[in-house]
Amino acid sequence: MEFKILDSIPDLTNLKSFTERYFSKRYITNVNGVKNNDIMIMFHSNRIALLSLAPSHFFFNKKNDFKVNYSLGNINRLSNSVKGKSKKGGQHLVPKSVICKIEYEDGTSFAVPCCMKGSLVEVNEELVKNPKLLREYPDEDGYIAIILSSIAISEATKNEMLTHEEYLKVLNSFELND
Amino acid sequence: MNDSEVIKLCKELGCCDACCLRYVGLKTPIAYENAKQFLVKYVKEKLEPVNNDEHSKGQDETKPDHVDQSKEQGKEESANNVEQSKEQDLTEPASDVNHSTDQETEPLKHEVDSEALRNEVDNRTHKKEADESTCDTSGAKEMSGEPPAKKQKLDSICVSCLGVLQEENWQQCNTMVKELLHKKQYESETFACALSAPIATMLREHYVMLCLKEKFTHYDTKQLTPLKEAWKWSFGAQLAAHVGMAQDSGAVSPLLVTLNLEYPDDLQELEVLKTLSASLFESRSKQRQRFAVEFTRRSVEQALRDVTLAGLRRQAAWARGAPVPRTHTAPVSVQAAHAPLYLGGRYVKLSRMLPQTPWLVNGLRMMHSSVQETIFEPIARLYGMSPEEMEHRLKFMSAGREDVDVRCLGEGRPFAVEVSDPQRQPTADELRRLCDEISEGEQVIVKNLVKVSREDLALLKKGEETKSKTYEALCIKLSHTEDDELTANGDTAVRVTERDIANINSYRNSDSDSSRVLLTQRTPIRVLHRRPLLTRTRRIHDLTAYRVPGHPQLFVVRLRTEAGTYVKEWAHGEAGRTRPRLQDALRARADILALDVASVDLPWPNTQPIHST
Repeated sequence: MEFKILDSIPDLTNLKSFTERYFSKRYITNVNGVKNNDIMIMFHSNRIALLSLAPSHFFFNKKNDFKVNYSLGNINRLSNSVKGKSKKGGQHLVPKSVICKIEYEDGTSFAVPCCMKGSLVEVNEELVKNPKLLREYPDEDGYIAIILSSIAISEATKNEMLTHEEYLKVLNSFELND
Repeated sequence: MNDSEVIKLCKELGCCDACCLRYVGLKTPIAYENAKQFLVKYVKEKLEPVNNDEHSKGQDETKPDHVDQSKEQGKEESANNVEQSKEQDLTEPASDVNHSTDQETEPLKHEVDSEALRNEVDNRTHKKEADESTCDTSGAKEMSGEPPAKKQKLDSICVSCLGVLQEENWQQCNTMVKELLHKKQYESETFACALSAPIATMLREHYVMLCLKEKFTHYDTKQLTPLKEAWKWSFGAQLAAHVGMAQDSGAVSPLLVTLNLEYPDDLQELEVLKTLSASLFESRSKQRQRFAVEFTRRSVEQALRDVTLAGLRRQAAWARGAPVPRTHTAPVSVQAAHAPLYLGGRYVKLSRMLPQTPWLVNGLRMMHSSVQETIFEPIARLYGMSPEEMEHRLKFMSAGREDVDVRCLGEGRPFAVEVSDPQRQPTADELRRLCDEISEGEQVIVKNLVKVSREDLALLKKGEETKSKTYEALCIKLSHTEDDELTANGDTAVRVTERDIANINSYRNSDSDSSRVLLTQRTPIRVLHRRPLLTRTRRIHDLTAYRVPGHPQLFVVRLRTEAGTYVKEWAHGEAGRTRPRLQDALRARADILALDVASVDLPWPNTQPIHST
């Protein structure tokens, strides 16, 4: 019997991306009461979370050039480092903690809050060099940070946030109200 | 000092015949097989050239006996070293075990005045001496005139070994060993035996040696023959006859029988050490976490360094010599264990729904089986193991692992199974049948199983870190390359072109001969919860691609990588956490659809050539 990789061709009509395969996407809209300040967190089944902007974020409507700045006053997210299996030494995060600022050429900017409690594992340094990844692939190469929290907090945060279906409904209702 | 004086003192103190030989330092195994007879003969021979000068005779007297035994002795000793180090780790059993001691002796302990007993012993020894100088080989006891039956029984418990070396106490041990061996039905023709003796024997040995040292300043305490050696030569030798197997050293025989002998007053007798070596036990009790058990062989050995004869005699229980044992040691348990059997082979995994080992999430299993269980079940059946027994008697080892959704094809992945305490070795026929039964479900295929050695296992584990692996990945092109020609009729479908294949086949970022691509991989998110965040450099030695007929967007890459390369992460790039990635070679976005291990480049087990079919 000869086995070949070609006998494993899946159904190509319903392909999922890397994040769709391994993560559950959750959303939170109008963070801090700011309209369309919409955040997306992708939860891996092992509780690790990827932070990014939701597709409905006002960021995606603005075409100006921008930079991603992880250096915030006295905290520099780029100098975060973690040690060992338990990721000791990561910066502590609460839902209101700012992970980075998106700064436009015209001097305006907005902050990206992390929306969950946990510790910072990694930020996406690539965004500093290549900010347009955030606009082009917010749910892949444009992710903003990796956050680790306890199973309990991760689960609770996940349950408080909107599922993809709920998120779409909320967006529809906004459109109707507008 | 001569040996007969040493023996005489030992007898006065209440030692048994075998212990007398031990204190003399005799290390001739045969002497212990019938200690009583040997002792009489030995003393007689010593006394013949009557010589009362204490120092004219050195310990060399015993040497002639040693010489021809030295070879065997060396073997025994090396085995003994192994066992001793093993036993050091044993924490001593607690005292609450129900002892099946001889009930007759129980009431006696209150009746007997130890003074009277000592006199009795003294009388006997004197009488015996007299007898021995005139009479010949018959045993010392018969010569000594008959003390009352009850007393004799009590007298006969040795103050040093507490009965461990006295054959009148062996019956129960023999029965227990025989029952256990009958139940387990080992095929082995030899056995080794190991002893777990009461710790109080160490204290008592120490006392006897202090007494010897007091009387004979030249007595060398190092000459003592260890209790377990004497026990192997005496008890072990008769056990061999009893169970019909030959006794061998623990280093040679795969079957080890361990007897746990307990003495009901063990802990109580050791209590004096807390007075005599107070600081040691105080410091130990402060570190309860580290020293959970108060009296261990190690702690008692340490404590005995502080114990002097004068100090011991100040203790009430020891004022009149070693406390008279109220009962002898008795076996509380017997264990028998055969050295493990190792089976080696290579497994082919044909399912994308089968983890290598049971996959549990929050205690719930994710898939109904695993490679491990598929291989274990027939082996467990062959050895008549229940599912619970299977869990702790079989152990799975392999040269690395693949993900649940990755198949392992080609010659398969090397693995081994450790069968602990096997009753027997499998036949070639049985090994063939095991392969058939494993392969029956067509999820896991094992073509060949062979017996492998412990050294082979080390190679298997080492291979996990050093071997390269060849993979085949089914991939998809997701975007156009910059130079993709879009056809005039508006068909913008993404297709894998000959140029794409050429790009991959010529891709390299390293000038080294042995590797074409150097990767920088961060610990994948999927394992990041249990592994440290690190950035590793890994190599792709070879990389080729080909198109998939009938599927213009698909292509297959075949790559040979260094051990520890995360291939899936290289293919999809994990949001840029692995760089460079497949999309850099293709010059367009790409993803992976399926992965197979095509070969694990480790020739193992040795007897099985890797490229046979």
